[in-house]
Amino acid sequence: MGAPDTQWPRYEVFQQTRPGGRYQNVGSVHAPDPEIALQNARDVFVRRPQTVSLWVVPAGEILARTREELEKDPSWRRPAPPPAGATEKVYHVFQKRSQRRSMGYVTHSGEVRAANRDQALLRAWEQFGEGPVFVWWIVPAGAITSSEEADVASMFQPAQDKSYRLPGVYHTRTLMREAKKQQEEDKA
Amino acid sequence: MSPEMQQVLAEKLLSMADDELVLAHRNSEWTGHAPILEEDIAFTNIALDEMGHARIWYGLHQELTGIDPDEAIYFREPRAYRNARLLELPRGDWAFSLVRQYFFDVFEMVRAERLLESAYRPLAEAAAKIRPEELYHYRHTHTWLQRLGLGTDESSRRTQSAVDALWPHVFQLFEPLPGEEVLVNAGFVPESIALETAWKKIIQEALAGAGLHMPAQPAASPGGRTEHTAHLADLLAEMQGVARANPGAEW
Repeated sequence: MGAPDTQWPRYEVFQQTRPGGRYQNVGSVHAPDPEIALQNARDVFVRRPQTVSLWVVPAGEILARTREELEKDPSWRRPAPPPAGATEKVYHVFQKRSQRRSMGYVTHSGEVRAANRDQALLRAWEQFGEGPVFVWWIVPAGAITSSEEADVASMFQPAQDKSYRLPGVYHTRTLMREAKKQQEEDKA
Repeated sequence: MSPEMQQVLAEKLLSMADDELVLAHRNSEWTGHAPILEEDIAFTNIALDEMGHARIWYGLHQELTGIDPDEAIYFREPRAYRNARLLELPRGDWAFSLVRQYFFDVFEMVRAERLLESAYRPLAEAAAKIRPEELYHYRHTHTWLQRLGLGTDESSRRTQSAVDALWPHVFQLFEPLPGEEVLVNAGFVPESIALETAWKKIIQEALAGAGLHMPAQPAASPGGRTEHTAHLADLLAEMQGVARANPGAEW
């Protein structure tokens, strides 16, 4: 056993890059509470300008399954029936459908209503299971903390003026090459 | 604009620029050392933002005086700096840096709100650019002030100590420069007392909301911006060293 994990809880971060666009999981942050998770997400993931909205969700609230896991144990196809009178809630469905390298991991596919996460997974599979799906994430809508419309100006837009934060702005490699060349010429 | 007015305005812009630069440098000392990775990045972002604001003010200063910002930053002696002493104090513990940043964020936020209406258009335009960033800084540091104030005994104790230690230095931010009334009368900059009143109202509520108490107003006036502690010389030695070792280097 290693040292005990003293880190704050982990939150998964979902980014929307244009109004109405699909949210995509871009990574995770540690935070003591959802508000700080949202701020940390902004500071860690919005250094590139194209963000209009962020969601953060406690990692423990998310049901995550790979295709291999679903194939290995098909019991998920027969979830225990929810107790009588259980109310249905909204669950967001995220999928990874491509093996190509990408900045994001899973992408929003839609939503289902269900009494619990297991039932939501089955319904998601029935509704969005066409074609290869490598990873499924079921995210309870109630566990999402979202940035607000009014936050866009202060949280996301300032990044658009900060080209100096992008490494490409600095011509260090060209200058290094020139300096090296000069050095060699001096030696010769 | 009369030459006298231009001179006061240049001096005002220089003090605004120096405040941001010195604070940005102090905050950059946390890069790689903040309590957790995410806050390291967040605090570094804030430092970069303040550096960006400094660049704006030095740019406006240059329009009036022709003094290149690099020249102003790297080749001025400590006694020629016009930052408030609050901002040059060593970074202290995390609570100290966080509370200082919070105090400055509220100051910059209330000032930017009023500068939006400045009769000197470059100031109004700069304020429009800076204000959204300050709103975010404020949100971040205010969130942390609450968490630290209402957290553990240790976090509350350290945060109160930071408030107490910073308090005697804060009010220099609101001291008008000599001759500043011409800028106020022209509608270029807000009156200092209005900023101080607005600042104190926000701070009073925030401290109470975080279970912290506001110290009594210091009796002695903090004095002008030409006097510095020895800490500024140390800070500038670090910041100016590379530029002075190789003047005119391009990169």
